[in-house]
Amino acid sequence: MSLHISELVNEDASLISRRCWSDERVYALEKRGIFGKSWLFLGHESQIKQPGDFVQAYMCETPIILSRGQDGGIYANINSCSHRGLPVCRADHGNTKRFVCPYHNWSYSVEGNLMTIPQETEVVRKPDKSQLGLKRVPRVEAWRGMIFGSFDEAIIPLDDYLGDMRFYLDAFFDRFPQGIEFMGAPHRWVLNANWKLPVENQLGDVNHGAFLHSSIIPKEAQDMIEKLGYSVVTTPGHGATFRLMPEDSPIDEMAWGMEGMGGMFGGDEVQNYLREVQAQAAERVGDLRARMKGLTYGIYPNLSFLWSNTSFKVSHPRGPGKVEYWSWSVVPADAPDSIKKILRTNYSSFFGPAGILEQEDSEVWVQQFIGSNIDFADDRPYYYGLGLGEEKPHAELPGLVSVTANEFYARHFFARWRDELQAVEGMV
Amino acid sequence: MSNQSLATSPEEQRALERFYFHEARLLDNRQYQQWLGLVSEQISYLMPSRVNVQVDNRARGNEDMISVERELEDQESMGCPIREETYIHLMVRVERAYKINSWSENPPARTRRIVGNIELMAREDDSLSVLSNFHLYYARPGNEDVIYSGQRRDTLLSQEEGFHIGRREVVMDYANIAMPTLGLLF
Repeated sequence: MSLHISELVNEDASLISRRCWSDERVYALEKRGIFGKSWLFLGHESQIKQPGDFVQAYMCETPIILSRGQDGGIYANINSCSHRGLPVCRADHGNTKRFVCPYHNWSYSVEGNLMTIPQETEVVRKPDKSQLGLKRVPRVEAWRGMIFGSFDEAIIPLDDYLGDMRFYLDAFFDRFPQGIEFMGAPHRWVLNANWKLPVENQLGDVNHGAFLHSSIIPKEAQDMIEKLGYSVVTTPGHGATFRLMPEDSPIDEMAWGMEGMGGMFGGDEVQNYLREVQAQAAERVGDLRARMKGLTYGIYPNLSFLWSNTSFKVSHPRGPGKVEYWSWSVVPADAPDSIKKILRTNYSSFFGPAGILEQEDSEVWVQQFIGSNIDFADDRPYYYGLGLGEEKPHAELPGLVSVTANEFYARHFFARWRDELQAVEGMV
Repeated sequence: MSNQSLATSPEEQRALERFYFHEARLLDNRQYQQWLGLVSEQISYLMPSRVNVQVDNRARGNEDMISVERELEDQESMGCPIREETYIHLMVRVERAYKINSWSENPPARTRRIVGNIELMAREDDSLSVLSNFHLYYARPGNEDVIYSGQRRDTLLSQEEGFHIGRREVVMDYANIAMPTLGLLF
């Protein structure tokens, strides 16, 4: 059967073919047209503070070592030896002077330069080691400590790529005098699902809450989310949902972190800290953003930020029907350790591999792949038309804005996805 | 904790076994409400995160070099444990199992666990430190069947009506988490 991208996503992206989720050829195009062309999230500067510090990352299925060089610079290299291709780094994180391949002991500096070839003393013509370093990710840039890499040398600067999403990200990052930090190694787990559904879910799908999570989220809480909720798309593929709290809301309802398990049951110390953060919010991020209480954020193609439970997540594809999902707890960098430890449970109670809500999300992501991988239903694409054309510009909020039930965040994502695949169609 | 378990009388060992076998049967029979009755309201229910750590050159030649403890991001660490739960969390999980709109439990999982290697490691007044291992077979429609394997590090409180679980730390034996969820009652 031939494959035409134009037949997978219609003009206004209100109809999405099942093949988008399940076809091997689509996945091959995604690798080339999206993962080879986008800024992909690698890690946060708080994870690699000292020279020699490193963490592992992925760009699609390609393993990456993200490191702090001896010169203080940030380096991203493909974790594969130039000799026989083995990974030269096996630890999830650490601090080192050298990465050493186990096979023949070729060794690399933390910046990725090839330092020694033990066998070269025994041959006459010495290899040119300067040409044999680890393959460097050609573009690496950071914004507010968030480090991204791209395989596309000609990609636009990261700042421009993020565009107006920075306005919404800063509503969180800038709330804290020293920004945020990532706690520990990511939680990583594998699901039999397509990578795009976790992305779509975290990009703006607030409205499944009332149904999928109805056994956990009280109806009043969900009604409040929808009543105060906004969905925005700043650039196709980037989006945010949040509540804009009424100006006269009590501080405990307005403050970030209060509605999580740690915030609710963690005691006075943490609650006073959260109130203090909120008391300074207007000064730090302005009146409008001080009233903003975020829900889901998405950065194209596969980075998500769940503000309400303070977790960054990356959806790493492992084929059309498999995803390796990574998530980190994120806390204010200035908070005392005792408070960070309580706040991390705002994330882990409900999200991560054991999370009470994540359990329900993973369930439907796996089930959706089952539905996407069936035969005899190609004439029944998925309906993505809710709220078609109802999004509009807003006086104070950058981007297109609508109610959370409007599925425009997903339509914009798939329109961009379709165009980027069409640009490489026929090349794979 | 010493590396040697305490010598126990046959009666005491049998009492511990009876407790754990009863607990396992309640969980496999989905009698979670009765299971909650075995749990202290002050319980800490923990599951450390487990990472692939860098080998510490200075520890080479020592057992410490590859100790399990080094791999754990536990409650004391500045990493992020997978679970740090209280009685409230466990109550939410138990209550959800009996709701008709609980989609991650419907249809419910079929589980069968074998609990063994029960060792009493320390005793202080009415508080017992007990280790046990488990293998848990798990099957749900839509997922491949999996086997969970791990160790439980418990503090049991010996009370008049029997043992209560005062603290449980579950150390899972995965390299990569390829299971649908780590949110079960282990």
